[in-house]
Amino acid sequence: MLAQIGLLWKPIGMTANSLPAAGDPRRLLSDMRTLSQRVRADQRMTWVALLVLAAATFAAIPFDWFGMDVTCLPDGGCQFARDGMLYYWIPAMPLMYAAIAFLYLRAARARGLGGRVLPYAITGAVTTLVFPAAWLAVTTYFSNHPYPDQPLPYWWFVLDRLVMPWGMIGVTLLVLAWLERNVALLAFTVGYLALVLLVLPMNYGFSSGFFSIRAAMAVPQLIVGVVLLLAAFGFRAAGRRRR
Amino acid sequence: MTAVTGAEEPELAHPVTGLDEVVHQRVRLGILTITHEARRVEFGYLRSQLELTAGNLSKHLSVLEEAGLIGVEKGYEGRRGRTWITLTPAGVTALNEEIGRLKQLIARVETTDG
Repeated sequence: MLAQIGLLWKPIGMTANSLPAAGDPRRLLSDMRTLSQRVRADQRMTWVALLVLAAATFAAIPFDWFGMDVTCLPDGGCQFARDGMLYYWIPAMPLMYAAIAFLYLRAARARGLGGRVLPYAITGAVTTLVFPAAWLAVTTYFSNHPYPDQPLPYWWFVLDRLVMPWGMIGVTLLVLAWLERNVALLAFTVGYLALVLLVLPMNYGFSSGFFSIRAAMAVPQLIVGVVLLLAAFGFRAAGRRRR
Repeated sequence: MTAVTGAEEPELAHPVTGLDEVVHQRVRLGILTITHEARRVEFGYLRSQLELTAGNLSKHLSVLEEAGLIGVEKGYEGRRGRTWITLTPAGVTALNEEIGRLKQLIARVETTDG
């Protein structure tokens, strides 16, 4: 049976030995998968995306620092509003995703390939809207309702961190991992999201007496930026080794 | 499109009877696969990936273009001429059908062996 099928795979009219001359359709499908994987690997520019995200995260720190409205009360308690972060990230997010899409397409074109950035751009656009919308919703709610006396539940903090820019960066990296079929990026993103959502206090800072409020907010951002930067270097080194 | 048929026609249509001669060829299948994955691919990339001579690749591209499965766009980047290949909707359909038939063949072989 296989031999009969194999006869069909003799090149018709011209010689062609670029794919292994096996008649087995299973082998042909496997070869097609290999070619697809090679193309996807050649389209990858993971390190560039991570580098842009790291740069945007570092650039946000002074905006948050100087744009933060802090009011300390005589009883020692302080209220703060991170307006600078809002004003920075709303224009920074679309610019950041546009820059990544542009660099991806340019690199792919230089390698003789097209790029698939549309789903990524759509996700970038959606996440850009989610952050200010969530901020607006929370601000509007608490302007009409009293702030609760009891500590807010843990899930609230996780949700709050997810809709913040650093959580949205994680969601976008998930989409990028799916687009690139990039298991290494997926593993990194899962670790990144765990760090941002469960470990680092992105929304209330390190509230130790050692830190001022501004510094307490800057440290988690600095950690996220360093993690993204190190990942960018790691993916670049891995990409160079592969080539 | 031409169908490649076996010596004997079985009563039920065998997946082989539906194979398209234009697509069912290793190099052309490789071209369609790469182009589908890349959305748009340059002649030089195809040549290096499929390890073909320029003349041989051109012949295969002509066959696919005449069948309406790919589009060929020639242009310049600086002084350098570049040829870009894209898959037409018919090309996408033909590739998907070919993959489907190959899977049917595998299922047929496994059933026969079992």
